[in-house]
Amino acid sequence: MAHDEALQLVVPTSVVTYVDVAHLGREIEAIDAFLQQAQLRKAGESVTMPKLSAMLGELAQVNQLNLLDASDRAKLLQFIQVLKKSAPVIHVSFAAEPSLTFLYKLCAWFRKEVSPHTLLHVGLQPSIAAGCIVRTNSKYFDFSLRQHLTQQKPELAKILGGKE
Amino acid sequence: MELWQFIILVGAIMAAAGAFVWNALHISSMTQGTKSAKQAQDELGKSAEEDVEHIFNDEFREELRNRGRLHFEKIIGENAMFLQQDLRLTTSQLNEYMKEEITRTLKEEFDKYEQSITDAKQLAIDSISKTQEAIEQQRQVMAVQLEKQFETTKAQLISRFEQNMADIVNHYIMIAIGDQIDLNDQLEYILGDLEANKKAIIEDITNGA
Repeated sequence: MAHDEALQLVVPTSVVTYVDVAHLGREIEAIDAFLQQAQLRKAGESVTMPKLSAMLGELAQVNQLNLLDASDRAKLLQFIQVLKKSAPVIHVSFAAEPSLTFLYKLCAWFRKEVSPHTLLHVGLQPSIAAGCIVRTNSKYFDFSLRQHLTQQKPELAKILGGKE
Repeated sequence: MELWQFIILVGAIMAAAGAFVWNALHISSMTQGTKSAKQAQDELGKSAEEDVEHIFNDEFREELRNRGRLHFEKIIGENAMFLQQDLRLTTSQLNEYMKEEITRTLKEEFDKYEQSITDAKQLAIDSISKTQEAIEQQRQVMAVQLEKQFETTKAQLISRFEQNMADIVNHYIMIAIGDQIDLNDQLEYILGDLEANKKAIIEDITNGA
């Protein structure tokens, strides 16, 4: 039940990878710990608020939650735990390091078309030249230029003057 | 003068001396007819001895000896000349003979040598011809093998190229323009591929979850 409730929350676009989710979890735990400690401190003592990342701020904002509220933090933490445990992780390999904008757009497509809680795991594979290779739980999708050329082998041979 | 002429000459002188003695005895017998035969014979003998002594005295003998010596020297000289001529002729003939023999022998040897050279030349030509023939056969065999090997290698290369054509072209593209390919430009194509395989991805995600 709590699991289903937690999955009602939205994962912001800036949270793309499993590492981002883990980082968010540590951040929420740090804030939680800080606020608990602040309650125990005596008045007049100087405290330093831990810095919040843009991802955490966006997470709270898109889900309309207040990080100062312990119950909201608990919800977020539970959501993070659920994500870490059950969010679908899709491995995507590119020839070069993709930009954040690119990743956001790609992640947005997965979350729109496949699952709203999809996380990506980005890898590098320079030999694919162009395109990408997508690997899910048990399947392997080769969208690379090499695969494209292999599929178009007769046409390629025709262009190069081969036999086929 | 030759020896036989000398002998005839001496014989003629002896005959003349005998005739002279006989004539003297005949004349004496005619003039003294009355003397006894024995006495007359003794007288004739003495007178003959005296005449002989008178004719064949030392000077005459010396003269004869000198003539004989000269004649003998002359004969010896003439014979020496003849001998020299014979010797020269013989030497000339011998030289000629030797020359002919040497020429003939040399000719025979040269003929043999020429024949040997011709045989050796023919042998060498035969050997070279056989070697050339063998080389030509070997060349043909090697040409066939080379052509076969070439065709095999060509077929292998083409086959390998065809098998790995996509990788080769991909590698070439990566080297040529790999650093100029922008992922943002590829987004549309990647999303298109994802869209085409969306169903399979969703099924796998759903089943995996």
